[in-house]
Amino acid sequence: MVAVAALAIAAALPLAAGPHLLTAMIVALHAAFMALAWNVAAGYAGQFSLGHSLFYGIGAYASTVLYLRLGLTPWAGMFVGAALAGIVGGLLALGVYRYKVHGIFFALVTLGAAEVAKGLADNWAFIKGPVGILLTMQNAPGDFFFLRREPYYYVALAMLVAMIVISLRLERSPLGQYFLAVREDEQAAEASGVDSYRYKTIAISLSAALTAFAGSFYAQFYLYVSPDTVLIFEPQLTMMLGTMVGGAGTAFGPVIGSLLFSGLGEALRNLPFLESTRGIVIGSKMVYAVLLIVVLIYLPGGLITLGRKGA
Amino acid sequence: MAALLDVRSVSKRFGGLQALSRVAFTVDAGEIVGLIGPNGAGKTTLFNVVTGVYPPDDGRVVFRGEDVTGAAPHRLCKLGAARTFQVSKPFATLTVLQTVRIGALNRIPDMAGATVKALEVLELMGLAGKRDEPGRTLTVMERKRLEMARALATQPSLLLLDEVAAGLRPNEIQDMIALVRSIAAGGVSVLIIEHVLEAVMRLSARIVVLNHGEVIAEGRPAELANDARVIDAYLGEAYSLA
Amino acid sequence: MIGLDVILQAGLSGLFMGSVYALIAIGFTLVFGVTNIVNFAHGHFVMGAMFVTYLLFKTLKVDPYVGLVVVLPLFFALGSLIYRLVIQRIVEAPHSAHMMVTLGLLIFIENLANLFFGGDLRGITTTYTTSSLVLGAVSVPIARLGAAAVSLAAVVGLALVLHRTSLGKAIRAAANNPEGAALVGIDVGRVYRVAFSLGTAAAALAGAVIMPFSLVSPFVGGEFILKAFVIAVLGGLGSVAGALIGGLLIGLVEALSSLYIQASLGNAIVFAILIVVLLYRPWGILGQARV
Repeated sequence: MVAVAALAIAAALPLAAGPHLLTAMIVALHAAFMALAWNVAAGYAGQFSLGHSLFYGIGAYASTVLYLRLGLTPWAGMFVGAALAGIVGGLLALGVYRYKVHGIFFALVTLGAAEVAKGLADNWAFIKGPVGILLTMQNAPGDFFFLRREPYYYVALAMLVAMIVISLRLERSPLGQYFLAVREDEQAAEASGVDSYRYKTIAISLSAALTAFAGSFYAQFYLYVSPDTVLIFEPQLTMMLGTMVGGAGTAFGPVIGSLLFSGLGEALRNLPFLESTRGIVIGSKMVYAVLLIVVLIYLPGGLITLGRKGA
Repeated sequence: MAALLDVRSVSKRFGGLQALSRVAFTVDAGEIVGLIGPNGAGKTTLFNVVTGVYPPDDGRVVFRGEDVTGAAPHRLCKLGAARTFQVSKPFATLTVLQTVRIGALNRIPDMAGATVKALEVLELMGLAGKRDEPGRTLTVMERKRLEMARALATQPSLLLLDEVAAGLRPNEIQDMIALVRSIAAGGVSVLIIEHVLEAVMRLSARIVVLNHGEVIAEGRPAELANDARVIDAYLGEAYSLA
Repeated sequence: MIGLDVILQAGLSGLFMGSVYALIAIGFTLVFGVTNIVNFAHGHFVMGAMFVTYLLFKTLKVDPYVGLVVVLPLFFALGSLIYRLVIQRIVEAPHSAHMMVTLGLLIFIENLANLFFGGDLRGITTTYTTSSLVLGAVSVPIARLGAAAVSLAAVVGLALVLHRTSLGKAIRAAANNPEGAALVGIDVGRVYRVAFSLGTAAAALAGAVIMPFSLVSPFVGGEFILKAFVIAVLGGLGSVAGALIGGLLIGLVEALSSLYIQASLGNAIVFAILIVVLLYRPWGILGQARV
């Protein structure tokens, strides 16, 4: 019932918040969604990918291009983007896992993949290369576009709630158990009948598809996509920070971590009552960096372990 | 009658080392077969080849009439061959129940059913009290039991045990012998690697002796006790039939 | 058609930059080979040294090469400090923790630089910044030649330390077998710290000597670490000689490909090479296949 109360508060928030705080909240919810998406592969299945910006970018570009070229509403386009990302992720995984890459090697392969994608995108005229695409929307709300800021908040909130539910259901499903087994000990998992190759691939594919939704939301919120905004390391960093600080492998850890990092971070930017917040923003990032390091050293399970008895 | 497990002239080489050389033997349904030999004889390598960790260079592995040479480990498990690891590999952060349930999911694809099966096996293995403890907090003996529980939960027709009696105190060894006997009585055939000769001599209907990757003797425990080749291989080690 | 002299010029430039890349990569691969830690912040050490060099030049008119007298010990000490404060506490942790912690360091250093210097690109102009030696068809930029020469000298120096000194022996022993090394009385923790400090100093040296012909901003660190990854993997993680070869190779590939294609495409190619190496030959050119 805590959940219902939290939801009620969350739903009522826009009524009390000014536009600045509202934007911060939207950014935080978006970050939490992304973190949970990455968490599916990295937290539950232990596949520490550094290339998720690739999937974020696919989502952002897919719904955008489909809208501008075919007039397909991004409400539908984002599902196409997710499917595309899922396929790309799946193919990538199928190819990579055949070579039994683990740990840092796997991480570097995924990083390489994202970098290759960015390089190619910068040279692909179809998506306007480095110049990027500016979105001009025709219909609100049919085209996933709103004239006011509040609806974006509710969409982001709905997406996050859905993602939390998906995570919780995953945790309680056989698929989730297979992910955990693969994460803990692949050899022992195999000996227990778990097809690790298959489930690692599913984990990446699923995680990729979910990440793409976040990319589409980004495109619709900021109305501009380019390789330098969606295919850089930034989204990856956001996902990782929120998840690792909050608690990887849990449904609420990444939410806590993201709300803390991204929400607060955004809120400190452009504070309405301060002339220049540059120093505060930069300083806060330094504080976050220290917090990240401290948490990783002393609370390797993430902040969420504070709420539980010592493991 | 066709054997449950038929290892046919299996060979395996690692660089300059011939780990297995034309190893051949069978395990019939309902048997407990012991696999002994000095350190480095190739016993665990044989387990790894049989369960698909790596394929043999030569020879075939036939399980339940199907050629499973080189098949992935999860496939062997699905077909009914489950193994434990010499150095137990618990799922460190998962609870005892979660761990065994993953094994149970092998045959029972839903969470509720798998949980019931897992609890059943935990009860049998005496670990029910530890169901919510994370794997890494268990003692050595408990980890061995957990290994066996997880393997049992997969509902195998053949259980491959790798040195489950190692490092145990005398009373624990007796418990382990009784445990393996009751598992076999439940209809599961067993292939057991063991260094604690007392355990393997008491449990096995038949014993296969490995040395330097070759089968040097095979037969009933009583027959082998005086076999010159076996004694030779264990030169310096004293043992007796209890 | 691009003329031979242009290709030669590019090739030379590539070898020069490649020497510097090699030094940076060697610092990175040394740390990984010895402590098994992937230091994401390695490129930011380069950036840090660039800024310190910049500062010394702008405020005290100290030449970058002279400034090494300050920069090298400073960054060696910084490396040691960072190791003691942070790194040594996560040595035993899984790779994911290494990556996240060093990412945290990266963020800290980047924002520290941003706070003090702002986000704009800055450069210095020494007396030799634009000088070149003309040798036939090619012109040899003095600044780049100097950077390459110093980098290669440092590589040789490092190799000598590793193979001719007792410290070097201890480092190689600890890299090969930490438990065994501890058993024969080697202070593995200290060896790790020294290795990390050496790696940091190597990055700093590279940063200092490229300052005469490069621009620095808080955000240039990323490029350096990405290159270091590729080179270290290509040469074989943990292999100093491999990183040298890899560095020169990547420098050449980068310079020559820039003649024909966009830089961003060249970048994509370099990463495609990384992926191929990771999949087919993860132990690199000179590394040894390890389980």
